[in-house]
Amino acid sequence: VVILLVGALVVPALAGTALVLSGRDSMTSSESNANRVSLVASLATAALVLAAVITRPAVDQPWLPALGVRMQFAVDGISAPLLLLTAALGVAVVVNARSRPPHGASPATFYGCLLLVEFGALATFLSRDAVVFFLSFEIVLIPMWVLISRYGDSHDLAARADASGRFVLYTVLGSTLMLVGILTLVHVSGTANLDELAAAHGAGIDRPTQVIIAALLLVGLGIKIPLFPLHTWLPPAHTIAPTAGSVLLAAVLLKMGTYGVVRLVIAPLPLGFGALAPVFAALGVIGILWGGLACLVENDLKRLIAYSSVAHMGFVVLGLSSGTTVGLQAALFANVAHGVVSALLFFLVGGLKERWGSADLATARAALREVSPRLGLALVVGFAASLGLPGLVGFWGEFLAMYSAWSPAPDRPEGLMRVLAVVAVTGTAVAAGYSLRVLRLIWSGDRTLPAHDDARGGEWSVLAVLVASVLVLGRAPGLLLNTTIKDVSAITSEVSR
Amino acid sequence: MSQAVVSVNVAVLLPVLAPAFGAAVVLIADVAVQRLRRAHYIVALASLVVGALATVPGLGAGDVRQTLCLPGSGQCLYAADGVASALQLAALLAASVTLLLSWPDDKKQSQGATAVTVSLVLAATAGATAVAGARDLGSWLVALELATLPTVALVALRGARSAISGAVALLTTALVSFGLLALAAALWFTATGTGFLTPAAALTVIADPTRRPILVLAVALVVAGIGFKLSLVPFHAWTPEAYDGAPLPIAAFLAGVSKIAALAALLVVIRAIVPLGASVLTSIAAVAAVSMTLGNVMALRQDGVVRLLAWSTVAQAGWVVLPLATLSTLAVEASGAYLLAYVLATLLAFAVVAALVQTRGAARARDLASYRGLVQDHPLLAAALGLALLSLAGLPPGVLGLVAKVTALRPVVASELWLLAVIAAVNAVLGVAVYLRWVRVLFASPDAVPGPSTHVGTDDVGGVQSLAVKAHPATLAAVGFAAVMLVLASLSPQLILGLLGH
Repeated sequence: VVILLVGALVVPALAGTALVLSGRDSMTSSESNANRVSLVASLATAALVLAAVITRPAVDQPWLPALGVRMQFAVDGISAPLLLLTAALGVAVVVNARSRPPHGASPATFYGCLLLVEFGALATFLSRDAVVFFLSFEIVLIPMWVLISRYGDSHDLAARADASGRFVLYTVLGSTLMLVGILTLVHVSGTANLDELAAAHGAGIDRPTQVIIAALLLVGLGIKIPLFPLHTWLPPAHTIAPTAGSVLLAAVLLKMGTYGVVRLVIAPLPLGFGALAPVFAALGVIGILWGGLACLVENDLKRLIAYSSVAHMGFVVLGLSSGTTVGLQAALFANVAHGVVSALLFFLVGGLKERWGSADLATARAALREVSPRLGLALVVGFAASLGLPGLVGFWGEFLAMYSAWSPAPDRPEGLMRVLAVVAVTGTAVAAGYSLRVLRLIWSGDRTLPAHDDARGGEWSVLAVLVASVLVLGRAPGLLLNTTIKDVSAITSEVSR
Repeated sequence: MSQAVVSVNVAVLLPVLAPAFGAAVVLIADVAVQRLRRAHYIVALASLVVGALATVPGLGAGDVRQTLCLPGSGQCLYAADGVASALQLAALLAASVTLLLSWPDDKKQSQGATAVTVSLVLAATAGATAVAGARDLGSWLVALELATLPTVALVALRGARSAISGAVALLTTALVSFGLLALAAALWFTATGTGFLTPAAALTVIADPTRRPILVLAVALVVAGIGFKLSLVPFHAWTPEAYDGAPLPIAAFLAGVSKIAALAALLVVIRAIVPLGASVLTSIAAVAAVSMTLGNVMALRQDGVVRLLAWSTVAQAGWVVLPLATLSTLAVEASGAYLLAYVLATLLAFAVVAALVQTRGAARARDLASYRGLVQDHPLLAAALGLALLSLAGLPPGVLGLVAKVTALRPVVASELWLLAVIAAVNAVLGVAVYLRWVRVLFASPDAVPGPSTHVGTDDVGGVQSLAVKAHPATLAAVGFAAVMLVLASLSPQLILGLLGH
């Protein structure tokens, strides 16, 4: 059974490395061969991850005895949905690239980097050792940097260099601060095992120390989430990144930040997080409003969805801060929901940008519902989910997050949290505003020129599956909530003691 | 009654004796037989390998290997524990890589100084391994100078104007540094009343608090004196000058073996004062913080790769001494581990640069812009260089560099030096910017590369596959050796950390 877990990590790592290292004239370097290799690898990874989620194996091997670091990997209810999301999107980006091949340098490197990002994300969600968590967190950086800087929008090379550099530098700053926090946490608690850290609930660590560690970790992880005002790297990165890069960035990499907050801050440092939660929640809610308002005026479609990500992650932050089981459940649900919706939208918008040649909303285009009904349907579902329409996947997480902020844990300042809940509600109104604005600009209308082709083949199948997930998870949120509830209540039962 | 003379265990001393003996053999052979060239290198390499093998029993958590013990008191003038043995091994292997990089080319006319170069390299290496084991002021000081002075000659030997100015900078530094260290030695003797650099000697000051300030002053002077050799700010100014003026293999020697010697010397003193208590060495903290910051900022502005590597050395030296801001055995091992990771990655970078100098000519390999499109031209060299740079930056796939940063930060965090930790975190970001600037060039499209390769030498082979023929096999061997070591160490950093005694 252990082989499933190891395989889920080794397969993408080996396939990705092999693809990146394969030279210009080898077998794998042609577009179709590289795609086939990575498709097989990502499908195998997805199958292994699925099997691992079902069987729940665990690995525990010494790796760096000098530092007391162990190779500990396991699956639990909190990580299972994110693992499945990552593995599924790992397949989706490869399938989509069959219809929309990458531009830029060698295709083998492109697919290799996709697999390496997937490897890093899976390792992050699987690891049960705080230091290995940090190392895995860093694995995604260079492949994603290569994706943005080599395969991104090549209209403006200076902007591309700036976006990719900003992405790496912001994230490295975040993760190094997180490392300082992790090392302190490991030092004062005497273990690097995340399960033991969570089980201890901060016992034996006094409140001031908890606050310092939590602050370091929250600033570090906040850059990744991204939390207002640390979000400024995200819009350029999304604007420039190729479709697959945007999808993985929004749907997988951002989740590593909130996942880290649950694992490293909320569970092991309840007192420290309790002290900082009001600030954390307030910044999240500012992000909701800020992102929403930016979306109302933004004219670059990819950048607009990037800002909407800031807003959606604000709801996750609000849920995390409430300190209740409902809030944490809401945050984990909204996490996955945003993963599905942002993946759908970025696939869609990436495809549109290639068809249009730019992602500028001010240019008059053919209405999607006239010339490309499939893209139009996906767009409507995506933005409807994005504005939190009941019955779609976006609703549950955000609704429950606001509910949990209205009735937070006893140690949270109730007045402030209620104010934040009210502000977050206005944020959903803003979301409705910008969603309808986009639909009005590119979906409705009767222009049929300049015409462009509709989604088919790989692109359409990816969009269809994502649309289906939006509907299914929206109708049956219990699928997800029941997976996480046991491990979530293990965390919050002690917190609200 | 035990024997009245100092005991000598040759096997224990072999890491020092082998290179020293090799140097003597090379000089004698040069007198006896004219125009030997490759033979010198083979002898030298063999002596380094013998020395390296001799360090193996001392590695890890093995016994402390002592010799030159005085009769009666039982004090030993030479002791090699895990940390010292690991540094010796690293120095010997780094010197081997340097020799491979400067391996004589049959096609080139002899410059007549082969034997001198080889014996100087061996002598400096012997100094580096000796200082790691030295436990008394006399041999410590002499060994450290033995490790330093030959490098002045090595830099100057090329004879070019830039080489002379680099050598003068190095010589001036060496003299000032020697003065400081000699003064430090005198103060140490005054404070402790013994010539031994051991914890027992340092502990004698506890009995007499008035002597404590003298010891503190001695340690401060040691930090300053070693700071010159480690290129720590504000004692760093010679570094870019000397690296740029020296032949490339010698620059690699300065970046590798010389740094190992300097840190080994510092660690001898630090380990002696660890038992005095876990007070924080504020001066080291300040020097570490300023070094990383200035080194990174200056490295960001360099367009020549050797100068970039020189400033990167300044920044990395800050990381090397960072853990020593907290006095503990943990810190000593962390510092050693960081140094090993840095030396391995830097040597690989230098080896790749040397290989490119041979294939493309110096003009087109010492300039950052000439690395455009290396991924397409020489994928393997580019991969090796990329791995080296990412290790220095501390980003996967350079896991070794990242683990080294974790190791270096651990003692700092454990002592709750928050400000220092945050400065280090910011510098991790600056460092990433420095090295990614180079990595980005590797990926860039090679449109701007002018003209054909202007290599002197191996043109007559009529190479089809450019690289395998043009770069010297010894250079490629150095690249391969360093790259394999770095890949293995990145897969399992314990290989490096374990050497130091865990």
